Amino acid sequence: MPHETAIRRDAIPRVAVRGPDTWPAALARTGATIRHNTILLLREPGPLASRLIMPVVFLALLHPLYQAAQGPGAGIGQAVIATLVTFSLLALSIVGGSILTERVWHTWERIRATAVRPAELLAGKAIPAMAALLAQQALIIGFGVAVLGLKATGPLLLAMAVGAWTLALLGMGAVIGVLARSLSELSVICDVGGMILSSLGGALVPLSAMPGWVRHVAPGSPGYWAVSALQAALRGDGAGTIRASAVLAGFAVAFGVLAAVRAGHGSVRSARM
Amino acid sequence: MLEAQELVKQYGTCRALDGFDLTVEPGEITGLIGHNGAGKTTFVEVVTGLTRPDAGRVSVGGVDVLRDPRQARRLIGVAPQELALYVSATVRDNLRLFGALAGLRRRALDRAIDQVAGELQLTGVLGQRAGVLSGGQRRRTQAATALIGGAPLLLLDEPTAGADPQTRAALLEAVRARAAGGAAVLYTTHYLPELTDLRATLAVARSGRIIARGGQEALMKGLPGELRLRLDGGVAAAGRWRLPGSLTRRARTVDGELRIASTDPPADLAALLSAGYSPVSVDVRRPDLDDLYLALAPEAPHAA
Repeated sequence: MPHETAIRRDAIPRVAVRGPDTWPAALARTGATIRHNTILLLREPGPLASRLIMPVVFLALLHPLYQAAQGPGAGIGQAVIATLVTFSLLALSIVGGSILTERVWHTWERIRATAVRPAELLAGKAIPAMAALLAQQALIIGFGVAVLGLKATGPLLLAMAVGAWTLALLGMGAVIGVLARSLSELSVICDVGGMILSSLGGALVPLSAMPGWVRHVAPGSPGYWAVSALQAALRGDGAGTIRASAVLAGFAVAFGVLAAVRAGHGSVRSARM
Repeated sequence: MLEAQELVKQYGTCRALDGFDLTVEPGEITGLIGHNGAGKTTFVEVVTGLTRPDAGRVSVGGVDVLRDPRQARRLIGVAPQELALYVSATVRDNLRLFGALAGLRRRALDRAIDQVAGELQLTGVLGQRAGVLSGGQRRRTQAATALIGGAPLLLLDEPTAGADPQTRAALLEAVRARAAGGAAVLYTTHYLPELTDLRATLAVARSGRIIARGGQEALMKGLPGELRLRLDGGVAAAGRWRLPGSLTRRARTVDGELRIASTDPPADLAALLSAGYSPVSVDVRRPDLDDLYLALAPEAPHAA
């Protein structure tokens, strides 16, 4: 039995006086939720480490295949984009999981019973997840540039494409997190859904090599626009990058609104393991 | 501090709240008791703004919960019935989050964590993950997340469910201390002796409404206790069915003991003695909350 500190009755705090709710208080609450969600992410580092290491291994092993198929320059670009889009879609499980575990632990409703605003809660969830997604993409691009000799002619355009894609991923992850009914369901949605979206987008195999019907449905996949934005950024095509990034931003808003509406109406309830 | 009037909440064909009225004053501990499905947890969800009632009004500290639920939540510390902890985070991390959301910062937050941990005997496990704690320690951690912010209204929904005696004692002491500090406490439980220990006023819920409200003494006034006797040669030799006056219909036997429901045990004992019965032992059991509960809500209503 550990030693317990004796509490004097006169040390029990009286009821705290509540002042008006100010913006510094809101900022502090947001900071607290960001800090807490970062702790949760780092306390179970397995999924994050896997999503960071696996794409680098994949890229290191398979880039010769892409180079053989498309030539040295284009092949490296395709290999980096394929790896980035595919593994960032698989990393949706980090975003969705951060919401779903709250439902499994029953903490979703518990935290909604506090003074926190939905926007503060959302920021607390989104910022650590966004940092993880950006770290993954930066690692893949960094590996491509430093080790494989990838030429990024427009770094700002690349940052725009990566940013827009990350926002779309956050929106998709949030929708999965509020809709999935269990961790196994989340796993299936992220793994199968991620592979379908990246394949439909022409990430793993160029669309020109895919059946005709795939080319027709491809624009319906966010993965298609991620590939388009990244390809345009790599070749320094500003208009192409902006156009594709705008579509990705549209996906982000649509998914974000859907997740917020679903969560805000109290229809998100506890889930099972 | 808490004022609810004529709350109605319907789920499909089930009326979870059906004209639910309840007021809890600062410094008062109110024990909300009732069968499963009586509306207790739905009421807690309505007060925290997580469930919107179909009709009625509820306010916390003068703030209309339906109009401004977030402002009302700033005045509430809640420990839900179901355990709701971040199991991969430490106890300290859990307390830090809920303390920060309640408005505590830096040193004040550290002090509050140490204090509530000491109160609820969690000091030794502050660095452990919530997922590896015993059931009792989890219960105390959950209660600590409700208490840490010094909220003027505490909603504790079966906080000792499945808890060991040590957990129970620590929690009750902490709740008493908070009420002494001015907090209004709404405490739901199925373990009625806790409410006696807390000296709580009572609200008895049945079928979505409060059917009795008041102090324990007042509500139990007039309830029969029990006169318990052992007679020479056992109950059969006492000629049970020939007891004097109305005692026969109030009497029953349990394990060879004669038990007579009685609002006036001395008078009933005198009647027995004057009728020639000579008990070997006499015990008087005063009415308790179980008797009150059974008298007011004798059986669970059928689910709609």
